[in-house]
Amino acid sequence: MSNMFGNLIMAVRGIGSNWLRTLLTMLGVLIGVASVIVLLAIGTGTSRSIENSIQSLGSNTLTVFSSGGSGTSSGTQIRNTNLNSASVSLISNPNNAPDVQSVSPVITTSVTATKQSSTYSTSVIGSTPSYLVASNYTVSAGRSISAADVTSHAQVIDIGASVASGLFVTGTDPLGQQIELGSARFTIVGLLASKGSTGLTNADAVVIAPYTAVQDQLTGESQSFSELLIQGKSASTLSLAQSEVESVLAAQNDTTVAALPFNVLNQASLISTATSSSKTFTALLGWVAAVSLLVGAIGVMNIMLVTVTERTREIGIRKAIGARKSVVLTQFLIESTVISFMGGVLGAIAGVVVSRFTIAGVKPVLASYSIPLALGVALSVGIVAGFYPAYRAASLRPIDALRYE
Amino acid sequence: MTLTSDGVTVVVLDERGQRPAVEPPIIALSNIVKSYKMGGVDVLATRGVSFTVAKGEFVAIMGASGSGKSTLMNIIGCLDIPTSGHYSLDGVNIRNLDDQALSRIRNMKIGFVFQGFNLIPRMSALQNVELPMAYAGIKPKERRERAIVALELVGLGQRLEHFSNELSGGQQQRVSIARAISTNPALILADEPTGNLDSKSSNELMGLFTDLHNHGRTIVMITHESDIAEYASRVVELRDGSIISDRLQSARVPSLSTSAGASSQDGDGSEV
Repeated sequence: MSNMFGNLIMAVRGIGSNWLRTLLTMLGVLIGVASVIVLLAIGTGTSRSIENSIQSLGSNTLTVFSSGGSGTSSGTQIRNTNLNSASVSLISNPNNAPDVQSVSPVITTSVTATKQSSTYSTSVIGSTPSYLVASNYTVSAGRSISAADVTSHAQVIDIGASVASGLFVTGTDPLGQQIELGSARFTIVGLLASKGSTGLTNADAVVIAPYTAVQDQLTGESQSFSELLIQGKSASTLSLAQSEVESVLAAQNDTTVAALPFNVLNQASLISTATSSSKTFTALLGWVAAVSLLVGAIGVMNIMLVTVTERTREIGIRKAIGARKSVVLTQFLIESTVISFMGGVLGAIAGVVVSRFTIAGVKPVLASYSIPLALGVALSVGIVAGFYPAYRAASLRPIDALRYE
Repeated sequence: MTLTSDGVTVVVLDERGQRPAVEPPIIALSNIVKSYKMGGVDVLATRGVSFTVAKGEFVAIMGASGSGKSTLMNIIGCLDIPTSGHYSLDGVNIRNLDDQALSRIRNMKIGFVFQGFNLIPRMSALQNVELPMAYAGIKPKERRERAIVALELVGLGQRLEHFSNELSGGQQQRVSIARAISTNPALILADEPTGNLDSKSSNELMGLFTDLHNHGRTIVMITHESDIAEYASRVVELRDGSIISDRLQSARVPSLSTSAGASSQDGDGSEV
């Protein structure tokens, strides 16, 4: 095996004889490997952020919202198809929908929140306490709005972290303070823990209030809700819960499930759709990167062919003094493999470094498989691209090679 | 196959064996023909060359360009295969050997000294000398020791780590001689060894060859310079692919050689 080591030393020396050229060749592989890693990281980062924003809708939730106007899709005129308090109580009944954990009516509106001279544009969600649970909001200080607040039309609110920092100077405690939402005055009873930005929406720019108070002060009395947020009992029974909810609503509105003028957004199916589309996206990026790696491979092959031609005489000497075909083959293969592997390692380092930055609004997430994949590809690039030149070198007849000037 | 080939060699020996040849010849060429295709026409480079070189001889093969001496050198050096005829080197028949086997023969049996020195750039003198031993599979420690001995023998003990571009032409050629003798080959084959050297270096180099000859080495040297051929103990002259003369001579004593001060008045080479 000392022979192998000797070969390696020889290869490195051969590479070192023309640093600039070797560096440029390596650059091809380096860029290829780095772009594989970075692009896969961007793909993974994108799908992670999509998943997060779906996740922020809550856990195991169904969202029911009106598809607009009276449904006429089946030709049947449907009247009074609203999501109202009756719908909520029907779905809440465990006999009607045994797989539903909770139902929260939701009214959303946008307001400008004001505290003295500070203003902040935010969305207001009017709902019930179960909304916080279903959509994964936790209270970090104070308390959540309560069922009693809903009943008493209390003007109390829980505010998101962005709203708090937008309205209050750091150091002041927002709890117990009053702020104006539009023209109505509300008291802050709780602060919501930050859910972080999901890239698409800011889940922290939110104010949650009892829906009764929102109807009183902001949107006006109405029979219908914007949507219903329904939490299922578990992820596995979410589709079951969906069909139960659909049946209940169909029965309530005297129509069929197919003709129901509501859309039901199933979080689980949303995730699987998003995941499969982001996988396609990642694969596409991977292919783009693979093309640049291929270009790098062609560069390695090209330079090895030049090297073999340049060193024809040396090959002739080696063969004349007894180098066997396999020895010459190995020598040049090792050379090309060392070049591309070094390019691969540097590329992996570059890829990891670049992946630490936010690129095009996406925080890349290193795919654990991408580094061994890229290095493996770099290694095979060296062997495959080096084989033909090495074989050509090994097959040179010493007598011809020695005569070569 | 090799056994049969050896058999053939032995037969050749026996035919010529009226004289009491104790050892088989290093080189036995019989009726060597080499033809090339050039523009569709067969060109004969050698037209049936036969001769033998015994162990310990210092033979100069002379001829003008086109005489076929380079072709003959390639065949003797196992770099090329004759179109027809028998060649056995140190008892091994060279016909029917593949590339791999020829590499091995060159490695074990022949030490090459080329006109252009043919050292490998970016390698030190020591590494160059070690190279054929590395290909022969000799262990690093042993080949380093042997390389040092060989380089000291050619007077380059002080320049082990010099790269070939840091050495003069004469020194480079001495490194290639060290490389040639390091494997202890049956034959030293020199192709115009002084072709790229000035006369002083040439004389020094020929002194070295004379020394090697005096130590019993078998040397075949291709040259077109008659004053260089004078150092050999036997001169074979080629013209148009055939031998036109084959004579023994008393070898010239190198005039400028420092190392070959001892007389090399030649007795051993004239045994035939």
